[in-house]
Amino acid sequence: MIGALVYLRVTSFRNLVAYRVRRLRQPRYLVGVAAAAVYIYFFFLRRLRGVGGGGASLQAIGAEFFQAFVGALCVMACAYSLVRIAFAWISPPPAAGLQFSEAEIAFLFPAPLSRKALIHFRLLGGQLAILVTSVLTAFVFGRLSFGAANSVTRAAGIWVMLSTFSLHLSGTHLAVARLKESSARPVLWRAAAVAAIILYAAAVIWSAVAFLNMPSSAGLLSGRGMDRLAPSLLASSPLRWLILPFGIILGPYFAADVPGFLLAMVPALGVLALHYHWVASSEYRFEEGSIALAERRATTKAAMLRGEAPKVGVFKPRAQPGPFPLSQKGPPEIAFLWKNLLSMRSSLLSLRTVGIAIMLTLWVSFVLGPVLSTRGGGSYAPIVAVFCSIASGYTLLLGPQIARQDLRSDLAVADILKTYPIAGWRLALGELLAPAAVLSAVLWLLIIVGSFAVDAGGHLEWLTPGVRLTSALCLGAAAPVVCAVQLIVPNLLAVLLPGWYQASRSRGGGIENFGQRLILGVVNMAFALMVLAPAAVFASLIIFSAFMHIGLAAAIVLAAAVVVSILTGEAAVGLWLIGEQFRSFDLSTEIR
Amino acid sequence: MIEVEALAKRYGSFTAVTGLSFSVSPGQVLGLVGPNGAGKTTALRCITGIIPMSAGTVRIAGHDLASDPVAAKRELAFFPDEPRLFDYLTVRQHLAFVARIYGVEGHEALAEPLLAELELADKADALPVELSRGMKQKLVIACGLLHSPKAMFFDEPLTGLDPLGIRRMKDSIVRRAREGAAVVLSSHLLHLLEEVCTHVLILKKGEKVANGTLAEVAAQFSNGEANVGLEEVFIRATGGTES
Repeated sequence: MIGALVYLRVTSFRNLVAYRVRRLRQPRYLVGVAAAAVYIYFFFLRRLRGVGGGGASLQAIGAEFFQAFVGALCVMACAYSLVRIAFAWISPPPAAGLQFSEAEIAFLFPAPLSRKALIHFRLLGGQLAILVTSVLTAFVFGRLSFGAANSVTRAAGIWVMLSTFSLHLSGTHLAVARLKESSARPVLWRAAAVAAIILYAAAVIWSAVAFLNMPSSAGLLSGRGMDRLAPSLLASSPLRWLILPFGIILGPYFAADVPGFLLAMVPALGVLALHYHWVASSEYRFEEGSIALAERRATTKAAMLRGEAPKVGVFKPRAQPGPFPLSQKGPPEIAFLWKNLLSMRSSLLSLRTVGIAIMLTLWVSFVLGPVLSTRGGGSYAPIVAVFCSIASGYTLLLGPQIARQDLRSDLAVADILKTYPIAGWRLALGELLAPAAVLSAVLWLLIIVGSFAVDAGGHLEWLTPGVRLTSALCLGAAAPVVCAVQLIVPNLLAVLLPGWYQASRSRGGGIENFGQRLILGVVNMAFALMVLAPAAVFASLIIFSAFMHIGLAAAIVLAAAVVVSILTGEAAVGLWLIGEQFRSFDLSTEIR
Repeated sequence: MIEVEALAKRYGSFTAVTGLSFSVSPGQVLGLVGPNGAGKTTALRCITGIIPMSAGTVRIAGHDLASDPVAAKRELAFFPDEPRLFDYLTVRQHLAFVARIYGVEGHEALAEPLLAELELADKADALPVELSRGMKQKLVIACGLLHSPKAMFFDEPLTGLDPLGIRRMKDSIVRRAREGAAVVLSSHLLHLLEEVCTHVLILKKGEKVANGTLAEVAAQFSNGEANVGLEEVFIRATGGTES
């Protein structure tokens, strides 16, 4: 029976590779592979071989940095593991199961296979996927290795870590589900498990703090002693015993040579085998949970193909009232604004939004942190001004990628949209109104705050109240049309190159899709620059040539009028192009 | 009401539909049949303006689809086989949205009986994710009927419906035709076509093989036999093979 399952895996993999190779006959995939190959060579392989600045700069950073970096990374990884496991106990998924695909469920669940065979099939399949990830990770981040003897031991070390964690999480989910099913008081058991995790984490932190507070540790916390801090800390008692399970799992990766690696692998594989046995011997009936998981994965995949962002956790959309009463008379564009504002509310919790918010916060902290630390008790106005400038830039650059409730998210229902009695450009305009309105509102807020914060102390003589007010009003007037142009570019690309756009929406898809995403990103940026450049050049020329004659405020007004005129013209052309292209392009040959 | 002349659709060197001409008058229900890959869905998508045709003319209620697509589309409704809905709009919000797009004034008065007829009244505030496939199909139909189209195109309209839903759908199609709509219905379910259609058009490899009333087409392929059913006619007309 296992033979049939192995056949399924092997044949599927072989056919996948053959399909991908055959697909290279289409120029876009071939170009995608070429772009990805160039990227990988310049950003990874070239550095691995020590060519270019990457290798040299890494060496210059020094061993101390790597030691601290890898140590911090390990602590974060262990903390993350603990938090994930704690969450699995505190808030288990509504349905726990092993992850099968919908096809696997359709064919294997009704097949004459034992539960054990299904579990082994799933677990072994999972291990294979983790092994591929490990090999790629070891290869790509080879230069950042630390201690591992060579690429093979590095990959094996990563595989042990990831596999054990994955199995532990699966086992926890199944154990919690089993507990909920069979125990009279499952909440008590779960509370006890969470308490144990918290106690364990507290003991680890207490041990580390106690070691650092010891007089003998003083030398490790400054100057040259820093490079010995992590090893000394990890070797101290009782910390070394508390983190022993993690130490066993991390051991193979950090082994200094091949004999050390082999020695470390023995207990690590033992722990891994125990986890495997734990999951494989689970008595919990996983089938229903697996079906729910497969359905959720299929829904997520379908949503991504529609151009939507994956949602955080178990996302269940809720009916919402319309953003405003939709009267039955008036331009149809307003109906699209109404519809897209409605769906925007439900997309605020997307993974992409959360990820970008975290990235923005970290970046802003990184930029403002040093400023804050050196300012003492001074005014915060300059910091606010810098923040507003950075946030405005990010809103214009990343906003159109986050707020995508426009034609891009409606490509899946294009059949229906194309039967509507509306001219193409009006449909495009209607689709863009909602994201343009939201991004403009964000920019207006930043402009208002920023206009007060810039030179709040009044040091710049030329920045009179009149100039300040004029600048703010002109920026506010230009903001909607700049946002519209920034949104038109990706929407135009989505209908000009729907196949490429669709590939960029799906996760994974091989090196050729990665290359396509890369090219589409570059084309998007080049297009945006091309569209914005004329307006920027004219505005600069007008301000610098006219402010001596008509005054700065008047020059700014004149420049803003020219910018708005140019961008409005470009937006009109863009909308017309989107409309015409959308009307004439054939979905059946493009994205289906 | 629906006039199609010399319609052709090509994908590179592959011809999906060629030289297709027919007309459907108010009150008529035309059944579009053919083997898998015969070009039925492609023809429907061209006639409704979803995909551009390579050649030919399509007129809906007198409006040329190529030169005046907005006016032509205002008079038609297309019901795809797969219900495609907006994820975050409830049933009622879908109807409000469509009413605005088609400029249907006082749509609430029209929507309520429609929802009741399609048994969606108690789901008016539900999102598509909360509806069964059959209910989604019904919502698509409600959206399509809201602006009282003069030309209606159904692609496999019974997919996903329960027996009662099938009965109601058939009755609904016949009633709309009696009220003056021209209907084109593509389906593999020949018994449905026998019950509902006044005319039939058989496609094979993108070309029209037969077109006329059920009796006319039956006579064309009966070889003098009496009471030849549509299934037998279909098999004889298409040579009993796939496209």
